[in-house]
Amino acid sequence: MGRTLPSASQVFLQEEQAFARFRRALRRTDQTALDDLFVSARQHLAAAQYASHALPFEVFLLAILLEEHKEVRRLRERVEALSAREK
Amino acid sequence: MMQTFTGWLFDVYPNETNLTLWLIGEDGRRLRLTHDFSAAFCAAGPAPRLRQLWNWLEAQPVRVRLRRTERRDVFAGMVTVLAVEVLQAARLDTLFGRVTGAFPELTYYDADVALALRYAAAYGVFPLARCVVEAQEGKAASITPLDTPWELDPEAAPLRILRLESDCDPAHAEPKGIVFAHGKARYRLPLEPASALLANLGAVLKQYDPDLVQTAGGDGWLMPRLMEMARQQGLRLPLNREDGLEVVERKARTYFSYGQIVYRGRQVQLRGRWHIDSQNAMLWEDYGLEGVLEMARVTRQPVQDAARLSPGTGISSMQFVTALQKGILIPWHKHQAETPKTAMDLLRADMGGMVYQPTVGLHRDVGGIDFVSMYPGIMVRFNISPEVPRAGTDLEPAPGEPGIVPMTLAPLLNKRLALKSALLTLHRWDCRRPSYQALASAEKWLLVTCFGYLGYKNARFGRIEAHEAVTAYGREALLRAKEAAEDLDYEILHMYVDGLWVHKDGCKTPADFEALLADITERTGLPIAMDGVYRWVVFLPSRVDERVPVANRYFGVFQDGSIKVRGIECRRRDTAPFIAETQTAIMEILARAEDAEHLKEVYPKALAFARREMEALRGGRVPVEKLLVSQKLSRELGEYSSPSPAARAVCQLQAAGKVVRPGQRVRFLFTLGKPGVCAWDVPEQPDPRSVDVRRYQTLLKRAVETVLAPIGQSVNGGKEDECQYLFPLKIAEPLGEGGTQRLDFLSISKVINFVNGGG
Repeated sequence: MGRTLPSASQVFLQEEQAFARFRRALRRTDQTALDDLFVSARQHLAAAQYASHALPFEVFLLAILLEEHKEVRRLRERVEALSAREK
Repeated sequence: MMQTFTGWLFDVYPNETNLTLWLIGEDGRRLRLTHDFSAAFCAAGPAPRLRQLWNWLEAQPVRVRLRRTERRDVFAGMVTVLAVEVLQAARLDTLFGRVTGAFPELTYYDADVALALRYAAAYGVFPLARCVVEAQEGKAASITPLDTPWELDPEAAPLRILRLESDCDPAHAEPKGIVFAHGKARYRLPLEPASALLANLGAVLKQYDPDLVQTAGGDGWLMPRLMEMARQQGLRLPLNREDGLEVVERKARTYFSYGQIVYRGRQVQLRGRWHIDSQNAMLWEDYGLEGVLEMARVTRQPVQDAARLSPGTGISSMQFVTALQKGILIPWHKHQAETPKTAMDLLRADMGGMVYQPTVGLHRDVGGIDFVSMYPGIMVRFNISPEVPRAGTDLEPAPGEPGIVPMTLAPLLNKRLALKSALLTLHRWDCRRPSYQALASAEKWLLVTCFGYLGYKNARFGRIEAHEAVTAYGREALLRAKEAAEDLDYEILHMYVDGLWVHKDGCKTPADFEALLADITERTGLPIAMDGVYRWVVFLPSRVDERVPVANRYFGVFQDGSIKVRGIECRRRDTAPFIAETQTAIMEILARAEDAEHLKEVYPKALAFARREMEALRGGRVPVEKLLVSQKLSRELGEYSSPSPAARAVCQLQAAGKVVRPGQRVRFLFTLGKPGVCAWDVPEQPDPRSVDVRRYQTLLKRAVETVLAPIGQSVNGGKEDECQYLFPLKIAEPLGEGGTQRLDFLSISKVINFVNGGG
């Protein structure tokens, strides 16, 4: 079963590979943070595939940002809940 | 004098001049008739060459009727062809071979269609069709079907079945005898002396006169062995019902299909009877004899071929019959390339179904919703066919006449939907249930394959644009279903090509989801159904990176207590039976909990059970047969750079003089020392003490953790108070290669310690 175009997950792996040298030069702690970012991009492969954007890495960056923003929102709600309890 | 017979059409095959028919009469008689039958092929090309072909054909000794006519080619539109009707259909193949030798540059149609299919198309008959035949002196004059392949409860033909089996697996050890079973009789006869066995078998064949000889391993071993014995003894064994014909033998072959290497064993087919080898029949475990007969009825392939064919061949046969009946030309060789596309078009079109990443963890009260036969449904509803221009991605049917693909599929799809809805209403113990299930499962395979064939370059009615249209419609439908669910405040846990998993507080019964189902059908025009409501379901992460969810690895329990499992060890065919059974048993214990709340009561029981099994394994109390691993040989031995365990086992088999071809399975044990495996089918039995217990402990531990770790975390409290969105904890130690590390049940106890607040 040949494919003409690589699937989103194949593209993702290529992009991840392309940053291997960058990752190698990072500190160990930064490396794990970078890995986390790639993991969060991976959560949205189905949407990235559907988007079929000509520059897939832009979509991956947006997916990373999206997960970051979800985390910010979750933390903000938590902080608000905690400060409400303190009052 | 003209006589009329009513009964079932048993078999059709060519003889020297025309076709041989076998009928099972209503009166129980088995009848052989012949039927004169002509068959045509067509040639297209430049007019002068066609004229030369005309003259050339008239000079041939084979009797033909020639005609110049206009016919429809699915890809090229109307074409002028020379139709060559061969009056004795059995001669078509030879004549056509000579024609292509003399006129290789012409385009040919309808050339390589099996005679049984042509006969089916001409008279509307099919294997086991009830029909009325008028005949004179053994020659059929007419045949009229009384039913169609689409009946749900066709009147079953009274088949006489003889079962033959060797008394042990010939791949493993030399059998000593053969077990016979027919009617209520069942007995074993020794292989030696051969003359006694053959005389007995001959007598059974003559007196009981079976219609079907059903064997286990008959194609590969039993039939060839019996025929060889008969040759040595100089006896004629009446395996065929028709005297004077040889048994038909076909060679084994290995091929590559759907990313897998497949091995098809050799075949032994009978004339006037059927021989079906349950080990060489496609999907026998799935649907058994009833499914095989259904496959034959709907594909119109003779039963012995239907039993051995792949669903792809089945769907092609159905399309051929539709094409012959509708006068559409069947290309002999397809010369049709993909139409040019812009890069952006390709980027948008070249996609498969939508596969989401599920929310990992345990979820309660989850509705599993599936589109019913989504892709075939799309093809039929939206009229997707190679010759029909595409209507765009808006979910609207393409205008105009139905194309050949929807025309072929519609009755099959309708039959499957009818069976499915009958299954929903039939009582749990209704005697029709198993048979309906077998039929539905046979049809499922045909429908599934049909989609693949639409995109397959070499399929006669395949076209990549049509294939892409189907996936595009599928993605659109799934997205609309997602939007419908979100509009109704459902949370989407997972989506997979044609299914959704959704949750909403308070929705616990199928009735609670009805509004959603209706809304989705309204928005997409496709039928959707409840797969069931899960008490709970666990979506598992990837083995490689536990932060990454994978689409098709999950297990859950429906409200009726039945378990659904995908992608974990017990579903894999290369898992040792002991490990698969242990994992299944653990899930059965978990299924006793009436809802997710009660998991905490059954979890310790499951854990204790897993510990006992681990102890049994360590103590050597597991029979070695239960530890056999079965893996496929994926390539020739010489092509391995570092031989897999399967390849190492094959080396041992070869040393013992047994041949294994790529695509065949090898059974072996993991053993201590080099080479680490021991093939099961070598003459000398392995020493039970040599079993690599640690390796099996590793495998068992992994299988147990797959199901128990996520349950353990949610039971013993993970994040927050809800047992949702729990990522499995890092518990497993890195596994040493080949199980060299000492591993035991430590990790499970670690889970407990961990969740109890210990270290």
